[in-house]
Amino acid sequence: MTDTLERLELDRATGPVLEQVWRTIVWDDPVNLMTYVTYVFQSYFGYPRDEAERLMLLVHHEGRAVVASGNREAMERHVQAMHGYGLQASVSKADP
Amino acid sequence: MIVAGRTGSDGVRLVLEAEEAMLLSELADQVDSVLLLGAEDDPALGRLLPNAYPDDADAAREFARYTRGSLVDGKRQAAQSVRDATAVGEGERLVEIELDQVQAWGWLTFLTDLRLILAERVGLGEEGTPEQDEQRDDYLRAAYEWAGFVQGSMLEVLDPTES
Repeated sequence: MTDTLERLELDRATGPVLEQVWRTIVWDDPVNLMTYVTYVFQSYFGYPRDEAERLMLLVHHEGRAVVASGNREAMERHVQAMHGYGLQASVSKADP
Repeated sequence: MIVAGRTGSDGVRLVLEAEEAMLLSELADQVDSVLLLGAEDDPALGRLLPNAYPDDADAAREFARYTRGSLVDGKRQAAQSVRDATAVGEGERLVEIELDQVQAWGWLTFLTDLRLILAERVGLGEEGTPEQDEQRDDYLRAAYEWAGFVQGSMLEVLDPTES
């Protein structure tokens, strides 16, 4: 019990750092087929087809979409994977 | 060209005319060359290896430093496997290729890289590009459309939940 309380205190103290959220952004590219972008979102991120299509259309119409968020390392891994698949992607810090 | 599912397993089966296979093999070799020999400021390479931090030059450089090698390796392997699979034997009129889900992924990414390079070379998506060499551009544009057709056909067959 004491243990837990201490950990809670610790969490609170380091909270702002841990909570710093980063994002994986995919940018529109007129070259890539819409079906391919949907396929990548489904296959790599494991999104259900509906969600993958929603994100693909967001990229297509808005010029970009946030496809994942979390810690910086994980976002860099995602962006590297997206570049591997030929998608234009970048890492960005979420607005506070 | 025929693109179909494989009976009894995942992946895709392609049947190419010898001319189509030779064209694909040649294009795959060129993609490999761009990755191997492309100048640092080649805009086509910029399409294949985009900036991960558009607003932070230091982070962008750092990201490129530790991802570029493996990205280039992966893309070159994909291009080389397409080149090898499309080799045409003496007197062959058709080339039949069976790809499992993982191999098919390699093809999809190669076709994407190919289209990114071709688009950059022809200036697709840019307005008012002067026509330098119309015949060459027509050829590249046809290859671009065809690569998109092959990719689209493969995507109709492949199931993203299996990879």
